[in-house]
Amino acid sequence: MLDVDLHHGASTDVGLVRKVNEDSYLVAPPVFVVADGMGGHSGGDVASQMVVEEFQRLAESYDPRRGAEQVADAFARAQARIVDYGDAHRAMQPGWHAGTTAVVAVLVIDDGVTKWLLANLGDSRIYRIVERRLEQVSVDHSVVQELIDSGHITVEEASVHPERHVITRALGSPEGIRPDFFLLPLGSVERLLLCSDGVTGMIGDEEIEEILESVADPRDAADALVRAAVAAGGRDNATAVVVDVVGLVKDATYDSQRQLESLESKLGGRL
Amino acid sequence: MSTEARFAPGDWYAVVGDRVTVLLPVSQRDRVAGLWDLADSGAAADALLDALLAGGLSSLDHFALVAHDDDSTHLIVRGAPTATVSSTGGEEIVSAAPGAAWAEQVLTGVTSVRVTLTGEATADHPLTPGVARVSAVELGTPSASARPASPEAAADEPAAAVEPEREPEKEPEPGPEAAAAEPEPGPGPAPVPAAPVPPAAPLQFGAPADDPTPTGETPVVEDWPDRDGQTQAGGPHADFERPPIPGQEIGPEVVAEPVASLVFSTGDVVAVDRTVLVGRAPEARRFASHDQPHVVTVPSPHQEISSTHLEIRPGAGADHGSAVATDLGSTNGTVLAQPGLDAEDLKPGIAVSLIPGAVLDLGDGVTIQVTNP
Repeated sequence: MLDVDLHHGASTDVGLVRKVNEDSYLVAPPVFVVADGMGGHSGGDVASQMVVEEFQRLAESYDPRRGAEQVADAFARAQARIVDYGDAHRAMQPGWHAGTTAVVAVLVIDDGVTKWLLANLGDSRIYRIVERRLEQVSVDHSVVQELIDSGHITVEEASVHPERHVITRALGSPEGIRPDFFLLPLGSVERLLLCSDGVTGMIGDEEIEEILESVADPRDAADALVRAAVAAGGRDNATAVVVDVVGLVKDATYDSQRQLESLESKLGGRL
Repeated sequence: MSTEARFAPGDWYAVVGDRVTVLLPVSQRDRVAGLWDLADSGAAADALLDALLAGGLSSLDHFALVAHDDDSTHLIVRGAPTATVSSTGGEEIVSAAPGAAWAEQVLTGVTSVRVTLTGEATADHPLTPGVARVSAVELGTPSASARPASPEAAADEPAAAVEPEREPEKEPEPGPEAAAAEPEPGPGPAPVPAAPVPPAAPLQFGAPADDPTPTGETPVVEDWPDRDGQTQAGGPHADFERPPIPGQEIGPEVVAEPVASLVFSTGDVVAVDRTVLVGRAPEARRFASHDQPHVVTVPSPHQEISSTHLEIRPGAGADHGSAVATDLGSTNGTVLAQPGLDAEDLKPGIAVSLIPGAVLDLGDGVTIQVTNP
């Protein structure tokens, strides 16, 4: 189907403070998901599990040529289930709510080329390693991110801001969902990380980069990230999924050469 | 004075630190970030006043500053703001007399200070350290007494009101406590998540961080909220108007009819009915499922073209009906030749309207000709 080989690792930990792990994740290549549930009385873990189940269904009949459409559909199905579940519980228990964040990575075929399609709702994050540097791809749907975007606070101020845990979009929201999508060339992602805020809230980007750069096996890297988050205090459930594209040629000149050759063939060798 | 504070939504900026609050009209937007930086780092009132006045008084027609420590309250108002100070000795109204640079008071025994900027709205949203858009703020324990009417001039256009009438009249009105109980068709809800959670409000997951109890079989609190650790959803605040991001024009994401056609020197022909991203290895970011941008990969053997080099999208506002091009901060730039005009370098991040016949040169021999759709 897709002519690439993916190596991956995943790890999750309830942390040192919570009693229940409300994070869920899915590793079903080429579909990867991390969801961070919220809500009480078992609402959060059910909500995040519903997201994982819907993406598991997607993975079972996945068509990478319709990747964006199928991901949007999976989000819509998960949203409908979580809202229904919440409505049913509220009938018995007023004020009951369930919601979840989600970050998703799938390989798609766009214009005949395999690419990463990434999607985000909430404050779980997607990072990539590109040219040996860590870069955050997703943009949190949070109050502090909006304050950063509008220039009111800096990233450093955000980490101690009183509203830093308030997210502005989530699955389960009665107002509907608006996931952000990202489309990245395969070659621009040397390593991909999906994680819940139990990781990013406990360890900084420098430490994440250090682990992703130094731990070769993605299974060990995911373990190391979660262990580091727990060691740093483990105030929240921590989950990490690490994906490597194996056999990826990182040399950009090769890429350009291939592009030129493809162009020559298109133009009948007139270049 | 207690540190409790409330506000009414509005246009003015409130920069709220632990001990100092600065209020500025919308025209002073540029100063807000710097002042917040100071306030948040715990700077004293004098440091904030220094920063406020660094640009001179002439560019600062209106402001208010309220600083308080354990026993005294320091108040400065210039221009439109009117402060009503309630203390053990009664009530006092502080406003700058016409022609005066400002009015300044250092008071003790203050129980509350209300600063009215525009309008008469009830300050019933909790105000926490940070930046808020307000029309009035109330610091300290609410008083049940009168609020001053703010002058009409100040209500409409604070930045333009050079000589606002300074005749605040006392109008006996219910205090904030009483008013809050009445349904009030005021502007949007508070941006402050710590607001008391109405029982029926959707997707409120309670106060942050205070309750370390995880979701489990044995909730320690009787009533909701019990939730996943620290994350909470802030859905109900969606219609709170945040300041717009300067220079960002909201354009249509997808249009029914293409506004232009792009003929690439590589042979590709692409319709501009949505955002088109061009580059050596273009990346599309933050799009919705219904408006996936068209990404066009072009060859660049000499690496003259950046990975995501150029954006072309249907124009908005004055550019409606035509395509606009923006260089996305490319390393080597983009040259635009419009018919009848000299070729120009696109300035990174600045959108330029394209007319049919225009040619964009990205480097490495890649050009894009703009034609009618």
